[in-house]
Amino acid sequence: MRRILAWAAVILVALVLQSTLFAQVKLAGVKPDLVYLVTIVLAFLEGPSSGALGGFVGGIAEDFLLNQPKGITALTLTLIGYAVGTIRQYIVSPSPILPVALVGVATFVGMLFNQLIAFLLGQAHVGMAYALRVALLSAAYNAVLTPFLFPVIRWVAEASRPRKVFRW
Amino acid sequence: MALYGRARNTRLLVITLVMASLLIITVDYRGGQRGPFEVAGRATSTVVGAMQAGVSKVLHPIAAFVGGVAHIGSLKAENDQLRARVRQLEAQSGTTDSTQRVNDALLKLFSLQGTLNLRGVAARVIAESVGNFEWSVNIDKGSSRGVKLNMAVVMGDGLVGHVVEVASNTSKVELIIDPASAVAGRLANSGETGVVTGQKFRDLTMGLVSPDARIVPDEQVVTAGYQGGLYPPEIPIGVVSHTYEREGSIAKTIAIRPAVDFTSLEYVLVVFTKP
Repeated sequence: MRRILAWAAVILVALVLQSTLFAQVKLAGVKPDLVYLVTIVLAFLEGPSSGALGGFVGGIAEDFLLNQPKGITALTLTLIGYAVGTIRQYIVSPSPILPVALVGVATFVGMLFNQLIAFLLGQAHVGMAYALRVALLSAAYNAVLTPFLFPVIRWVAEASRPRKVFRW
Repeated sequence: MALYGRARNTRLLVITLVMASLLIITVDYRGGQRGPFEVAGRATSTVVGAMQAGVSKVLHPIAAFVGGVAHIGSLKAENDQLRARVRQLEAQSGTTDSTQRVNDALLKLFSLQGTLNLRGVAARVIAESVGNFEWSVNIDKGSSRGVKLNMAVVMGDGLVGHVVEVASNTSKVELIIDPASAVAGRLANSGETGVVTGQKFRDLTMGLVSPDARIVPDEQVVTAGYQGGLYPPEIPIGVVSHTYEREGSIAKTIAIRPAVDFTSLEYVLVVFTKP
């Protein structure tokens, strides 16, 4: 129960910050997508199933605030969460660059996938070139923010983890 | 690092979630405005809107400061010029800058309201869209203050957009610069009509104009306001900035510089049009 509340709070805070603070501080006119960041870091820390579930919930929450059909971001973030969690199981590098790189690449791929689905539903109103540019800048902004937000999200994950898990 | 579940359970979970997402997309796509997820969406908007209103009040000065730091080079020169001017003006007026700005913005709103005989409610912009592919803002008035779907939204300088989503204490306004938005516009001099579509932060585009329309440079473009349309007539949209000529085409295309500065929206008026 505490986990659910903690992650719901994190997603809500991410959505509010994205639309207020980061709307004023843009990188070349592009906002970061903090829900992607939270999902990818969650998948990085907790594995593929938690990543997929967290992505689904975060995606639904973000979809409710957007004009496009609900469910597109949920689909994107579920798959991104699962992919990042699975990749994480095979890469054991302790380098701090790894989460930053993963956030960057996964955000870029995720945003393009999101636009692709929107296009298939006839809801894409911007061209491919613009979508590519926004995906790239958004991924860069997310990657830049990762070193600051990763410790915060990891603290939430550790603090809300059930006590029965063995750590080694 | 702890890992939950085995690979097979994970795959089952992911497939279930993907199916759920596709189901939600289909249901919402077919459901339109009255679909079950729109209701849940409005509930989320209410909660998030309340948070955004509070946060934006606190963060506006901080965010403005960070934005200012990014432009520190050009700001310094401008700053020196303005300091001298401010010293001069402060001696004359004796009011603070901020209240003056708010005062001017609200006065413009009321004068537009008076000129065009519009009834409405003033609202403050509390947040932008959460996505990068949408051009919309959230305002701090909702159905509890009489805001309804599809009402027009204006600022002192001109047209801003229309309401696309209403919750009890917040609403979402789609701006006219959104590529999905289309406004029926009329050239002020000749009376010719066309469709004004958004081009993100570039000049708006007015298409479907009759090819033998005479266009004066810097001509004003206003809303056409046909019967049953979204927007009341005669609200300024912008000013003609460029005409695209093409030999033998069946319609002209005009670029329009918007009257409203969409990078600094603060106070807007939601007009009580009959939806």
